[in-house]
Amino acid sequence: MPQVKIIAKNFMDMVSSLPAMKLDKLYENAFICEAILRSLPPLAKKYVLQLLYIDVPVSASSLQEWVLVDGASKHRVAVDRLIQLRVFTETVDRKKEATYRLNLMFQMNLRKHVVHGGVLPREPMAANITVRLPSLEELDNYAAQQWECFLLHLINSAEVEVTTKSISPSMMKVFQRGLLSQRDNEGSRLTESGFQFLLMDTNAQLWYIIREYISNSEDRGVDSADLISFLLELSFHVTGEAYNMNTLDEIQRITVKDLADLGLIKLQQGRKDSWFIPTKLATNLSISLSDASSRKMGYVVVETNFRLYAYSTSKLHCEILRLFARVEYQLPNLIVGSITKENLYKAFSNGITADQIISFLQQNAHPRVAEKVPSVPENVTDQIRLWESDLNRVEMTPAHFFDDFPSRDVFEAACDFAREYSSLLWEDSKKMQLIVKTEIYAHMKEFLSHQK
Amino acid sequence: MTPVSSKQYTDDVSLLMVLMDTNPLFWSSTATPFSFSKFLSQVLSFLNSIILLNQLNQVVVIATGFNSCDYIYDSSLGHGNLRAETLLQKLEEFVIKDEELNKQESVDGIGSSLLSGSLSMALCYIQRVFRSGSIHPQPRILCLHGSQDGPGQYVAIMNSIFSAQRSMVPIDSCVIGSQHSAFLQQASYITGGVYLKPQQLDGLFQYLTTVFATDLHSRNFLQLPKPVGVDFRASCFCHKNTIDMGYICSVCLSIFCKHHKKCSTCGSAFGQPQTSVSTSNQKRKAPDN
Amino acid sequence: MKETRETSKHGREHTQTRGPGESLQEDESGLLRPIDNQALHHAQYRRRLRSLSSASATSRIQKGLIRYLYLVIDLSRAAGEMDLRPSRMVVVAKQVEAFIREFFDQNPLSQIGLISIKNGVAQCLTDLGGSPESHIKVLMGKLECAGEASLQNALELVHEQLDQIPSYGHREAIILYSALSTCDPGDVMETIQKCKNSKIRCSVIGLSAELYICKYLCQETGGLYSVALDEAHLKELILEHAPPPPAIAEFAIANLIKMGFPQRAAEGVISICSCHKEAKFGGGYTCPRCKARVCELPTECRICGLTLVSSPHLARSYHHLFPVTPFDDVAPLFVPNHRRPKACFGCQQSLLNPGNLPGRCVTCPKCKQFFCLDCDIYIHESLHNCPGCESLRDSKSLS
Repeated sequence: MPQVKIIAKNFMDMVSSLPAMKLDKLYENAFICEAILRSLPPLAKKYVLQLLYIDVPVSASSLQEWVLVDGASKHRVAVDRLIQLRVFTETVDRKKEATYRLNLMFQMNLRKHVVHGGVLPREPMAANITVRLPSLEELDNYAAQQWECFLLHLINSAEVEVTTKSISPSMMKVFQRGLLSQRDNEGSRLTESGFQFLLMDTNAQLWYIIREYISNSEDRGVDSADLISFLLELSFHVTGEAYNMNTLDEIQRITVKDLADLGLIKLQQGRKDSWFIPTKLATNLSISLSDASSRKMGYVVVETNFRLYAYSTSKLHCEILRLFARVEYQLPNLIVGSITKENLYKAFSNGITADQIISFLQQNAHPRVAEKVPSVPENVTDQIRLWESDLNRVEMTPAHFFDDFPSRDVFEAACDFAREYSSLLWEDSKKMQLIVKTEIYAHMKEFLSHQK
Repeated sequence: MTPVSSKQYTDDVSLLMVLMDTNPLFWSSTATPFSFSKFLSQVLSFLNSIILLNQLNQVVVIATGFNSCDYIYDSSLGHGNLRAETLLQKLEEFVIKDEELNKQESVDGIGSSLLSGSLSMALCYIQRVFRSGSIHPQPRILCLHGSQDGPGQYVAIMNSIFSAQRSMVPIDSCVIGSQHSAFLQQASYITGGVYLKPQQLDGLFQYLTTVFATDLHSRNFLQLPKPVGVDFRASCFCHKNTIDMGYICSVCLSIFCKHHKKCSTCGSAFGQPQTSVSTSNQKRKAPDN
Repeated sequence: MKETRETSKHGREHTQTRGPGESLQEDESGLLRPIDNQALHHAQYRRRLRSLSSASATSRIQKGLIRYLYLVIDLSRAAGEMDLRPSRMVVVAKQVEAFIREFFDQNPLSQIGLISIKNGVAQCLTDLGGSPESHIKVLMGKLECAGEASLQNALELVHEQLDQIPSYGHREAIILYSALSTCDPGDVMETIQKCKNSKIRCSVIGLSAELYICKYLCQETGGLYSVALDEAHLKELILEHAPPPPAIAEFAIANLIKMGFPQRAAEGVISICSCHKEAKFGGGYTCPRCKARVCELPTECRICGLTLVSSPHLARSYHHLFPVTPFDDVAPLFVPNHRRPKACFGCQQSLLNPGNLPGRCVTCPKCKQFFCLDCDIYIHESLHNCPGCESLRDSKSLS
């Protein structure tokens, strides 16, 4: 899937790509350790827990003894991940046997956690202060609204009433980079990845934005490791509780303001102090991607006659549906449209794939149709795929053409060589011509020069 | 009634129902190899580490007492982190209340605790989680049990086991007493859970984290302790004795340890004891007239 | 006859095309609103429970737990009809498979046999046996239809087979009849009388229209007669036969049977089993009397002849013997606030409606604990234990 290209799978991939020095420093923060542990694959989590109270290095073979044959690949992935994150330090002894032990700082922090239980990063507002805090529901609505506003702003800066004005235009530019392409005469236009971005679920979108935010941090004079550690710490706050702004340093206060625009945080001004209230978006930051992705209510019903009903009041949903369907009319809580060939062709030409559209329809299926299998009628999904394949009758492969072979033997050898790499695209043994993929062009040349 | 969705939810998010044996007769007996406080500190650390593993993990603790059972901790009510103080306070209140209910009955040896009650409560709780929607944590039950089996609870415990099996909830058992528990062996065997009787109780935490912290998803890839035989003995209905051979009423399948003239459960009058329900052909013809 | 078929076909199509929309009902003011499913569901369940408990209150519960059942499947030409998709035969086979599994789940010591009717002849597909898999396998391999159906031949075969079983067993036949006629070699009425005298309870599930002869058969032998409207209805009808029927004292003679409950050996132990006489790796069972090793339960010990069963197998049916007493409805405003708990004793769900108003709940007459409606259903239909009673030592000593 092309999504992989524009999205680091989650926060932890970013963390693991940090240099070793910074990583070790991060582990001094107990919250980071906790968040890292939670991000690990289930098997890796288990290994960490198992080795938590073992002070000597453990040999790789004794760790593997627990694994069934089916789990061998999972085991490798888990161990690789642990080494990559420097949670495991690997040493190879004289007998060439690898032994692992836990990162000492990491181990210490987790042991503390296990014995004393988790602690909160900072004390929430005391109960005796009488300020009306928003209810969880209000907070969720606020977060959703803020995020939607931001997205609308992102894709279509002109139309939206300016509610997110505090995001500096330069920051917006950063976010838009890669999603929008600027053209001189017709203003900005969504790129391929921009469309894909809109079809993703909120969490995946959030990751993308946060990643851009972090990678841009050095330009703003903020250390990326500090920022990561603050964001992770933020995810351990309790949703809906108010925390005093005084507990933050200058840089964190600026960050909090930025995050408020994205809907991760709600700011509240008290009489004396000002408070910040994390929303669900913020506290979900450290959860791995897959967990929270499907926790949303669906709203789309697709019928076998290609009609599409979306029970939604959201302007953004309407915009997204417009990407591949013709919106026919809008009622206060219902958008009615139909999936047509013209609209799909437009979507395909914008770089959206049939699979993306189908998975979007399936993921956002209204609860009533989501119970059914399949949630989107088969004739509709088949037709969407057919229309896509209509456009892809011709497949392009970069290739090189070889001609003028000195002898049949050389030609045959060259064909076999190309076949071995499964890169032979076409051959004509009469005329002694062949076409190979570009990837092996260099090898091919080398091979032929040896033949001569 | 069985939720299908739980099969599709392959994440490692768990709901762990811990049934903790608080039977004062067991913990105060000299045969018990280690103290309740030591046990508690190891279990608390274990609960901490379960919550540590995943933000969405949920832990519920039910105390299995001598005279009553009650919920003493539910992590979904707090803020995710385990508050040891609240758990301990609730536990203390429970133990005192449980003690007060004691009716000065003469108890011979170590009495059994009310496992059937806490199992039933745990299953009710799990059903509520199933009802909450198609996406929910994977539930499992862990019995930390020390007291002897109470033969009087046989039918109730078996009913709970079958209900757990139908809802695909595994029952793990960690036996801390000196004897194996036939009930828990059957419970774990039938529901596909793990049965373990730790050799060294000082290392209880290590046993708990290596074996019982494993989420259901990872169990597919890991080698967990295999059952060391299952005790399939039943309790007879007449004297509540545990027996390995007995008489079955052909009408209601009640089990008796001796031959009776009349079934006490269904009231049928019996003729001569029959040796077997035979499947082979010659025998099938024989008893018929 | 033609007309009957037409309407039944129509009925099937109608139920299939029911849309995905929610069920609606009209309220007092004429507005359409979704049916309060929970309340409705609960009311239905209460009615079922009450009818069950009133039936069992008068007499002691006697159920025919050891059953010998022949499933007769009509594979005559009529079974090839396509009014059930893809054909009656396939649909019947599918439901029979589900039924066999459910049957063994609920009747651990019972046995099933399969008989087919094809070309006017009844044929025994499988002998009486306790393994669901072997029956299902044979049935799936024999799914083709031809010729006429013969009720008499089928009954004769059933009678011949069931006449041999021990006196304490309950003899039953369930006939899944697709044809609208029967082609018999003699007087079917005589055969029906023979079945009646042998105390074979015959039930028929028709797939096309009601037939007098089937109805008569069921009336005479004490069985149930029903005609399936569509696949879902067929499933419902056939599964009705899974729970043990009430025992009628004269039908089977009560007896005490001596049985053993073998222990399961540890995984990974090598031993020689007495049934196959070969070394086996892994868990087997040990006969408590002579300590011989067998591979599977239930079986009969080859050495000492003791019947060996797994005790959990027996225990599956005990909830029939000790049903949980029905809970009492609690009038929301009747119980003073301080006396009613805030949460359900079983699942801790709040018993208060939004706005802190007391919601609907029930209470156990024995232990006086309060439960929510969902737990009420779960406790009576699946768990078969009252958590409140189970967590009180006093109530235990009483029962």
